[in-house]
Amino acid sequence: MRRTGAAAAVALVATLGLAACGGGDGDDVELTWYINPDDGGQAAIAAQCTTEADGAYAISTSLLPRESSSQREQLARRLAANDASIDLMSIDPPFVPELSRAGFLAPVPQELQETAEAQAVQGALDTATWQDELVTVPFWANTQLLWYRTSVAEAAGLDMTQPVTWDQIIDATREQELYLGVQGGRAEALTVWINSLVQSAGGEVISGEASNADEVEVTIDSEAGAEAARILSEIGEDGLGGPGLPTSDENGNLSTFEGDRGSFMVNWPFVWPAMSGAVEDGSLSQEVFDDVGWAMYPQVVEGQESRPPVGGINLGVSAFSEHVEESFAAIACITDPAKQAEYFVTNGNPPSATEAFDDPAVQEAFPMADVLRESLEAGAPRPLTPFYTTVTLGLQRTWHPLDQIDPESTPERSTELLRAILAGEDLL
Amino acid sequence: MSATTGPGATSSPTAAPSSSSARNANATSSRKPRRSARRRAEARLGWILAGPAFVVMLAVTLYPILQAVWESLFNYQLTAPDDRTFVGLNNYLVILTDSIFWRAMGVTTLIMVITVAVELVIGFGLAMVMHRALRRLRGLLRTAILVPYGIITVVSAFAWFYAFDTTSGFVNSWFDWVPGISSDLNWFAETPTALIVIMASEIWKTTPFISLLLLAGLAQVPGDLEEAAKVDGATPWQVFKRVIVPNMKAAIMVAVLFRALDAFRIFDNVFIMTQGSAGTEVLALLAYRTSIGQLQIGMGSAISVLLFLCVIVICFIAIKVFKVDLAPAQGGK
Amino acid sequence: MLTTKQKVWWALGTVAVLVYALFPVAAIFATSFKPSSELTSGTFLPSSPTLSNYESILAGDAQELFLSSLRNSIGISVISTVLASILATLAAYAIARLDFPGKKLVLMTSLAVSIFPVISIVTPLFNLWRTIGLYDTWPGLIIPYMSLTLPISIWTLTAFFRQIPWELEQAAQVDGATTYQAFRRAIVPLAAPGVFTTALIAFFIAWNDFVYGISLTSTSAARPVPAALAFFTGSSQFEEPTGAISAAAVVVTIPVVVLVLLFQRQIVSGLTQGAVKG
Repeated sequence: MRRTGAAAAVALVATLGLAACGGGDGDDVELTWYINPDDGGQAAIAAQCTTEADGAYAISTSLLPRESSSQREQLARRLAANDASIDLMSIDPPFVPELSRAGFLAPVPQELQETAEAQAVQGALDTATWQDELVTVPFWANTQLLWYRTSVAEAAGLDMTQPVTWDQIIDATREQELYLGVQGGRAEALTVWINSLVQSAGGEVISGEASNADEVEVTIDSEAGAEAARILSEIGEDGLGGPGLPTSDENGNLSTFEGDRGSFMVNWPFVWPAMSGAVEDGSLSQEVFDDVGWAMYPQVVEGQESRPPVGGINLGVSAFSEHVEESFAAIACITDPAKQAEYFVTNGNPPSATEAFDDPAVQEAFPMADVLRESLEAGAPRPLTPFYTTVTLGLQRTWHPLDQIDPESTPERSTELLRAILAGEDLL
Repeated sequence: MSATTGPGATSSPTAAPSSSSARNANATSSRKPRRSARRRAEARLGWILAGPAFVVMLAVTLYPILQAVWESLFNYQLTAPDDRTFVGLNNYLVILTDSIFWRAMGVTTLIMVITVAVELVIGFGLAMVMHRALRRLRGLLRTAILVPYGIITVVSAFAWFYAFDTTSGFVNSWFDWVPGISSDLNWFAETPTALIVIMASEIWKTTPFISLLLLAGLAQVPGDLEEAAKVDGATPWQVFKRVIVPNMKAAIMVAVLFRALDAFRIFDNVFIMTQGSAGTEVLALLAYRTSIGQLQIGMGSAISVLLFLCVIVICFIAIKVFKVDLAPAQGGK
Repeated sequence: MLTTKQKVWWALGTVAVLVYALFPVAAIFATSFKPSSELTSGTFLPSSPTLSNYESILAGDAQELFLSSLRNSIGISVISTVLASILATLAAYAIARLDFPGKKLVLMTSLAVSIFPVISIVTPLFNLWRTIGLYDTWPGLIIPYMSLTLPISIWTLTAFFRQIPWELEQAAQVDGATTYQAFRRAIVPLAAPGVFTTALIAFFIAWNDFVYGISLTSTSAARPVPAALAFFTGSSQFEEPTGAISAAAVVVTIPVVVLVLLFQRQIVSGLTQGAVKG
């Protein structure tokens, strides 16, 4: 019933749409924006844009689950039902190709594409593109930095103004008997890490952007893959990630880093407001906080620029929305650099727009803003493939726990597994 | 469903009257037409009253499982609806030749066996305490025991997870004197330790149920037999073994079967605590992950059907091999 | 009279049972009062207890998420309990009092349904629901909840009804009461406690559901509490919402504790009757 109703409505909009859009009388246009959980920033922006739209549309938000894989489930399930109740979506970038290939995304208008391409950092644009077309609009962009305890770096004799390598921080941590903050748990964060290591070593997990499962080219069984495996297994075997490594996530890393045995940590910038908040409520000493430094993501091969992880949120419009035009107008409003800057300051999620990093409020709240921008420009997206879930789960299955990784065989094993699963010959 | 045939075959004397008279209805009806008319009216009323419940039960289970059987014959992913193809039994072939499935089956069976065994022991203890408790204590004990029964499984899973978690938990610091436990122990990193916590929370939450079933069984043990045994100089253990257990065997069997079937479907605890990592994936989670998580409707349906078949097999074994008599479980009299 | 030794044993036994039953609840209760800075302290009790976790779910950021799910949980559980109780009362009355062909079938079906793995039917239900528009709605959960609440209600009530001395009804009729009066005066007072107890047990089961809750909902329109717990978030995407989850867990445990405190006798008798009755 709902489906036919929706279909009729879409048809109605299609026929009357051209005539109606000149009128601008959009009192009834209620847009629903499915958002990932944050600190209330997206809801605030929705309210702001509703006001600015001056009656053209009103945006209400609906919350998605915390885990990005669950967010994808929710969206895909609704979209597969051709559900017209979704207008705007906050999409975790790795799922963009899947949604695009399935025909769930309304095409981004040319003008908005041009604006986005002009204002956004390269790393974010890469994640929003599928088969050379911008199919979503970057909203905020996340990237990992190397966070370090200055005292530890000094004791190891590292010059942190210059790029450092994974081997250097591994040696420093081992010699001083400390723990590295890395995401060794069997979760998306592990894929993020593996991908960045492989890309930093000049390789790729998947090459090309094939649409069909049987054409996907898995290329992790390479020198770069072996190098990534070597680094991971060394950290795992030598217990450098601490006892929590097999289950560690971004939040757990922060506790390790703040603790007595903290040394280096690769993590997203949320750690900065989290640490300054901890100082305020007294759970972290000012001394430790003052010891914290940051730098670009470590290199795998000395002298070869690293490819830091890129995350964030892109905005897409549902192909089944009855208000595609208003939805894109809303996206233009939401992704306005000034709003992105404010969102960064209030919610800790970095902007995708280059100019937003220059905002004085941003510079004050995030002294590392320029490094973040640099990191985002250099960043590498996770494999762009409609079968991303298969790829990430397959990697997590073969590359976890870290102490079981064998540089000789793990890349090959994961390649075989991925091939079998993509061909439907194996379960995941 | 095999469950429907079982108790008929082993129907106990207590369950016999109602069913046999129902079965004899046709044989006797021709002889007494007047009674037959009343019988027919009674039958009609019976179905008018019981029919809605019956239909609803079938509608919410039989229909979906048939649908699952049908969808399991397709290669069908929700995000690629155009690629849907008929593959026959291929999904089953893939699953049954995959180590992931058998591993999940092994973990599920292990959890089932261990939790039921432990629950039976603890449950007996709790039932004995409640059975013998003074009137003054009875209310308090029952209330306490019903708390785990009534609590939401997800809440129980979180409570146990937070207690054992390396960063937030207190267990490591409280029990670091126990060999093998230190502040560095990451319970959710290795299969054995992760399973211990998962099973502990499952046992904690469901033992009250088993103990109540056993309590009902205890009430059926004739008190004078127990007294007589004591007078004859039997030790408490002998009384337990020779008098109590044999007299409540039926109750024990039913309790074990029900808990076993329940434990075989374990999902919530594993989902909350490990999401199946560290080798803790159970069948229900595998089915969920495949159909809802990866949106592989065809493959997921096939796993669901296999899970359903497993439950039937367990039931069948219980009824045929262990001769569990489900008649009392219907509340039959 | 008890000897001192026996008294000591009883005291110890009682304490052991209480610790067993309540300790994990106490643990999450204690966690719910920890400020965020103490969540990683590894102690049992908070050193500076705070209500901030409760504020966040009842009045703060997570308010909308939590309160709407609480509303859904209560509404959906109550409605499915009431429906199951009505259907089960009718069916159990027929089974206990009438002789009709197929009554064994009804009982065995309820037995079979109660051992049914929920996960097996969630995928087809999901597919069906989104086609007919029941996905993410109250009825979309109430209907499948019948598979959980109805079978146990039928058993428990059948057991209860079989114990009712139905002769009283006839006796009352002989005394001159009409059929309805006889039923109301003689039978309803005897049957009501059984129905009530059954409803309590059914409510617990509906309240506990997780699989249907996460699979068949996607927004606050129908998402029940156990599913909503997975939606809480820390102050950023990567921070653990331990405090908020603990507080929410405590809040949803309160009704359970209250019901148990008030009706422990009935619940115990209901569970033992429905399950094993020789």
